[in-house]
Amino acid sequence: MIDKSPEYRFKKALGVSMMLLLVAFAALPTLWALILSVRSPSAVFEPIWESPLALTLENFFNITRSDFPKALLNSFITAGSATVLAMIIGVPAGFALAKSRVSGKFIASWVLLLLRMAPPVGFVIPLFLLYVNAGLIDTYLGLIVAYMTLTLPLVVWSMWNSFAQVPDELIEAALMDDATLTQAFLLIVLPAARPGAVAAAILAFLVAWNDFFFSLIITRSSTTTAPVAVMNFISFDSVDWASIAVASIALTLPILPLMAIANRYIVQSLSGAVKG
Amino acid sequence: MTLTSTKRLGATYELQRGYRRMIYPAVIAVGIFAIVPLAGMFALAFSDYHLLRGTNWQFGFKNFARLLSDQRLMNSIYVMSILSFFGVATQVIIGTAVAVGLQKIVGRWRFGRILFLVPYAVPHVAVALIWLSLFTPTLSPINAFFDLFGITVPSFLTTQGGAMFAIVMADTWTNFPFAMLIILAALQGISPDLDEAAAIDGATRVKTFFFITLPLLMPALLMVTLFRFIDSLKHFPMIFVITKGGPGRSTQATNFYAYVQTFQNSNVAYGAAIAVTLFLMAALISFYVARLNQRVSQ
Repeated sequence: MIDKSPEYRFKKALGVSMMLLLVAFAALPTLWALILSVRSPSAVFEPIWESPLALTLENFFNITRSDFPKALLNSFITAGSATVLAMIIGVPAGFALAKSRVSGKFIASWVLLLLRMAPPVGFVIPLFLLYVNAGLIDTYLGLIVAYMTLTLPLVVWSMWNSFAQVPDELIEAALMDDATLTQAFLLIVLPAARPGAVAAAILAFLVAWNDFFFSLIITRSSTTTAPVAVMNFISFDSVDWASIAVASIALTLPILPLMAIANRYIVQSLSGAVKG
Repeated sequence: MTLTSTKRLGATYELQRGYRRMIYPAVIAVGIFAIVPLAGMFALAFSDYHLLRGTNWQFGFKNFARLLSDQRLMNSIYVMSILSFFGVATQVIIGTAVAVGLQKIVGRWRFGRILFLVPYAVPHVAVALIWLSLFTPTLSPINAFFDLFGITVPSFLTTQGGAMFAIVMADTWTNFPFAMLIILAALQGISPDLDEAAAIDGATRVKTFFFITLPLLMPALLMVTLFRFIDSLKHFPMIFVITKGGPGRSTQATNFYAYVQTFQNSNVAYGAAIAVTLFLMAALISFYVARLNQRVSQ
């Protein structure tokens, strides 16, 4: 079926140009941020074709002298801790929900979904008042607890999906061989569900890393995370666009490899069938 | 035989206890980290708590009565609806288009998938800042480009419509890959035989897409739409960074309005009442999603 008619060629060209348009839409803003990050501060407001060589790496050095690296470290500490804690608590729970016959599973799945969908402003108001009174404003602990509201439901939900795909026979066989449930879980089931667990950890880290709202409300200067610290480059009368571009790249770079690993599992963890 | 069945019965009881022990930590943690704040939000919504004045311990429906006659709330719901509708619609359309395009060339161009995923990896604050720069006339390469032809691109962020357009663009850019991923997975589950059969019956590609592929994609499309819709009720960083709710108060979506009332006007109780309203909307939709999920899995 090789069709070389003009009509076919026209349609083919139409399809290809539409795809190119979509590629441009996806790629150009990123390219723009990359360009902005290497523009000389004096040439930022000139069109790139007027001074294409006004490039510099100075912006990258400048940002190391600001508070931003500290904020990046804060982001790593808080998002990392919230992920590890959510995995420790959430993975066994996901396993039990997938394989046991405990009642109330539908309610559990609804509560988990609800928590993932509830507006953060609802959590943050009572947390803020609590933290003000408990002295938890601007502490790692306070922020990690807040992030747990994001990461824990996500981990339980997506591990529930992952474990549901592990065959029951695997567990039964282990139990028949006199393994305890804990042994069967740790030695047999968990290794079988490892890709799903890696994906769950990555997704949990992503939501915590991405957070802006919690950090904006419950941190001040010492534990503020990178997404909020970027805003410091916008002052009342001027905007340091080059630093913003560098900071945006710094915020994205740790995520890219994680996204490349986890993208296949994003679908699974969101819409995968929960066995009711 | 009796031996094994006795053993299995005994094991079942032991098992259920073991399973419960695995669930309890999560139940307790979810209770502390999530349910307690939620209960706090409801309690505050019925109270008269003010960040500066404190509380007189008077509880009632006062805040909810006020919601009904609040013009700013009505405007916020209007803004939220517009942002959600146009944002989700463009994300689903672009996501589907990219997924269909990628499906056709998937073997030859693995890199394409990663390329389209990059916007999804950019944290929302960075997305908002990048698009803010693109909508800043003195800086934007778009404005500079059109200036070459003597065309002055209007400043989008000075009108309500333009500001909402800017937010929708930023939101679409970062979230269409999510739609793409789910649609792509659904497309890969559709048998290529169907396309061939339709081609043999003389259907054009366009017809095949609309009458065969699209109906099969419906569950996935519904899923994406619902997930994105619920997420879009939570719009915050985009508005905070790109428009700050302006010009004036014209782009304060409901979530943002709750923030303004609580943390800028110090009106905690009223902010909580708005949050409760938003929460109930999300609860209703997520109940529907959970039911849908259960039905799909059966």
